Amino acid sequence: MSIAEKYLKPEVVREISRLDLRAQFIVKGFLHGLHASPFHGFSVEFSEHRKYTPGDNPQDIDWLVYAKTDKYYIKKFEAETNITGYLVMDLSRSMGYTYRQELTKFDYAICLAAALCYLMVHQQDPVGLITFDEKIRSSLPPRSKRAQLGNILSLLSKLRPTGKTEIAKSIVQIAAMLRHHSLVMLFSDLLSDPDPIIQALHRLRHGGHDVILFHILDEAEVHFPFDGIVEFEEPESHDRLQVDAGGFKADYVSEVNRFRDRYRRECFQSGIDYVPLDTSMRFDRALTEYLISRQGRF
Amino acid sequence: MEFLNPFLLAGAGLAAVPVVLHLIMRQQPRLLEFPALRFLQMRQLSNRRRMKLRHLLLLALRVAAVCLLALALARPSIHGSGLLGDQQAPTAAAMVFDTSARMAYRHENRTRLEAAQDIALWLLPQLPPESQVAVVDATPGDASFQIDLGTARQRIERLATVGLGRPLPELFEGAIRLLKDSQQKRKEVFLFTDLTDRAWPSTASDRLQRLLAEVPGVAVYVIDVGVLEPRNLSLAEIQLSGQVLARNSPLRVATELVSLRMEEQRTVELYLSDSQGQMQKRSEESVAVTAGGSKAIDFPVAGLDEGTHQGYVRIVGTDALPIDDARYFTVEVKPPWRVLVAALPPADYHAANLTEALAPADFRRSGHARFECDVVPFDDLGRRPLAEYAAVCLLDPRALGDNVWKQLSDFARGGGGVGIFLGPSADLASFGAAAAQELLPGPLAPQARYPDGTAYISTRDDQHPILAKFRSRRGAVPWEDFPVYRLWQFDPLADGVGTVVPLTNGRPVILERPIGKGRVLTMATPVSELAEVPDNDRWNQLWGVGSWPFFTLANEMMMYLVGSTDGQLNYATEQAAVLYVDAEKHFPTYLVSTPSGESLRQAPNQQNAIVVTATSNVGNYRVRAGGEQEGVNLGFSVNLPIEASRLDRIGEDRLKAFFGEHAFRVARDKQQIDREVSLDRVGRELYPLLIGLVAFVLGLEHVLANRFYREPPAAGKE
Repeated sequence: MSIAEKYLKPEVVREISRLDLRAQFIVKGFLHGLHASPFHGFSVEFSEHRKYTPGDNPQDIDWLVYAKTDKYYIKKFEAETNITGYLVMDLSRSMGYTYRQELTKFDYAICLAAALCYLMVHQQDPVGLITFDEKIRSSLPPRSKRAQLGNILSLLSKLRPTGKTEIAKSIVQIAAMLRHHSLVMLFSDLLSDPDPIIQALHRLRHGGHDVILFHILDEAEVHFPFDGIVEFEEPESHDRLQVDAGGFKADYVSEVNRFRDRYRRECFQSGIDYVPLDTSMRFDRALTEYLISRQGRF
Repeated sequence: MEFLNPFLLAGAGLAAVPVVLHLIMRQQPRLLEFPALRFLQMRQLSNRRRMKLRHLLLLALRVAAVCLLALALARPSIHGSGLLGDQQAPTAAAMVFDTSARMAYRHENRTRLEAAQDIALWLLPQLPPESQVAVVDATPGDASFQIDLGTARQRIERLATVGLGRPLPELFEGAIRLLKDSQQKRKEVFLFTDLTDRAWPSTASDRLQRLLAEVPGVAVYVIDVGVLEPRNLSLAEIQLSGQVLARNSPLRVATELVSLRMEEQRTVELYLSDSQGQMQKRSEESVAVTAGGSKAIDFPVAGLDEGTHQGYVRIVGTDALPIDDARYFTVEVKPPWRVLVAALPPADYHAANLTEALAPADFRRSGHARFECDVVPFDDLGRRPLAEYAAVCLLDPRALGDNVWKQLSDFARGGGGVGIFLGPSADLASFGAAAAQELLPGPLAPQARYPDGTAYISTRDDQHPILAKFRSRRGAVPWEDFPVYRLWQFDPLADGVGTVVPLTNGRPVILERPIGKGRVLTMATPVSELAEVPDNDRWNQLWGVGSWPFFTLANEMMMYLVGSTDGQLNYATEQAAVLYVDAEKHFPTYLVSTPSGESLRQAPNQQNAIVVTATSNVGNYRVRAGGEQEGVNLGFSVNLPIEASRLDRIGEDRLKAFFGEHAFRVARDKQQIDREVSLDRVGRELYPLLIGLVAFVLGLEHVLANRFYREPPAAGKE
């Protein structure tokens, strides 16, 4: 395993306390692992020529310039700048949960958000941050300056998942709030009634926004590793339920899969990118999902 | 079902423990925070049902384990006979011993009876106290319970084999009847037998099964003391050329050496008593016999004086069953029988056929003839003292005076034999008279004629004594070469008249009519036809060239008429021996000496017969009276019937068929008996089965509990 790849593992990233470094680590490790530039063809507008150096893709050589100058120049594309990204963080109490992983769902979401923010800022995409629980708690307007990265990361690092949540209501608020066509990246465990959330997502989508839904669950919430008689308590509502975990596992896993499948189906139908994640997955998986889906879009 | 430790059943109360534990010691659940509780809540209802089912299943298994354990420790057992619960309840036991001669078979230095006694004496103290015990053996007498176990022991110790004894089914029946009347609720029959096939006649099976059905609950134990593969050499029954012989007639003693699983060469000896009564070896023969085979042995004996002669044939050497290694016989030698033959004149000429057949000239000259024939014409018949003769023959009789018929009737009533050979001279009117009808089979009817020669004598049904000689050649006697063309018929037949020999078409040709002590044989076709009679006028061809069949038949008819076949001198064990004594030499009592050396006095009955019933011992018996010189010295022999030494074992299927639906147990040794009797008294122990079940239930409980309550992995954060 290369050093860069190592940085894509949540348990390693956890060791890095500074969020900006975390994001850098994740993105660099991720980009290092790719053979081709993920930004190739990402933007459509020509930016400048530069001299060909060995290692560049010969397909990019501008033969017209060669005809005129007898020198190899390659075309360089400028990233599109009118995609405004919003990182939308769910602050619900449940996001602070992990059973046996290094990062809570919230930590995982923040790392991922930071990495995306890093990526976007480096592409000079304006990126903003919105947090919500029962309603929108804070928001940073999108900027493409480098300073924006620091602002977002400093805000992210201060966030704490504490309260109850109303995802659907918050999404509706966000949809109302966003005026321009934007890329909304929603980080949530979606542990709430799915119907209003799906409706809200549809509304967001109908508002003309691109939506990427990062559905983050804890590894234990996906695989249900419990056994014996266990009394579970819901952290937000404090509901309790005593079950024989060993006997419940199959039922539970099928129920979770059904839940994820429903989101996947609904999102696909409405053109939302649905990225199911759990906290044991490597970040590159999440980023790849994101980038591939972006690539397909442009 | 019964319990050895019924109080331990109370332990089943401990079944409450798992229930209580289930209620008060429920597993304390771990409390875990879990945001995705909604997914659990969605399936909660169905899961709770499953959990409940699992709990109940485990609880049921634990309760079952405790109950089964308590049940197993109480030692339950189920009964074959469903009898009383207490193993020590007194029982009515009948010990039935087969004491037939076969039980003397020696194996491992013990006779089968000794082996049976050994087991019975071991079994006796095992019976619960106050049990009633009956010892039943083949000796005569009804079965009854012994006073106490001590007398039963003595009775068993004194058991001895008898010649044949009462058959085993009869003994068994007696025992069942005895138990039927017993007040004891538990009833057991111990049948000590060698399980030989002959001891279990299937004819007795039905009656026995009916009887067993009347006495339900009788436990039957067949104690098999037999040898699985018996080996034995035996002598078959002796065949004598005759039990009563005329002086100078040769005696033939024939028997067979029969082998059961032995391949041996043995010497077989013939002993005969001399004038002093001492046994002297007269002949011997070395015989090789294969396993399962037999070899005929034939001893010719000549030169026997008048009187009673006894002897035996024996196998030299020993084998496992000695009782059938010797066979005894008695013959009586008498002076030649005098036969009066009446014929048409010239009488000698007409009688020549018969007289030459009965006493050939060569035999007469050498003194070997069995018969001494006096031939007279019919006219002289009335003047002859008939009492001097053993038999009178009428050859083609014509009309005779009533006084002659009367004389002949009296003669027959007194024990004489009359042979009437009807022919062309028969006179319908004279023969229809009352005096003649006393002897004849009935009024004469028209003759039956078979001129085409298709009718001839049939000896297929050869049960009559005069046909005994034909039995060995059954189906091979060339009667068809000697046709009968004409014969008289009788209609109606008088009472008591029987057909001795018929023609092939069923017409009687020789008829017998018993009169008083004697008998009359009437032949419906003549034997006195002369050679010069033309063929188309002949009545039969019985005297054709090489006519040995009729020669034999005529001799046998005469032997029958003179009464030689009456005197039975050789008997089977337990048969009553009957000896007729001369009325003129009558003594008030006779001394009967048995082979075992005992002597008993016996008086003749009104028919001048001495009847000896104590014939359980095999050997030669002597009957004497009046001293050496002027007295009577008679004898007879007793042998085991051949069945008594047949040692083939009964098959399991046949034994089952014999008992039918009634359950019985077979045991061969003390261990088996102990087990089989325990099975009935204690029942079949369910302990091993129950303990196995307990183990299974506990195992199942363990597996399920592990599966339901598996501990979470040690690693991981709460």
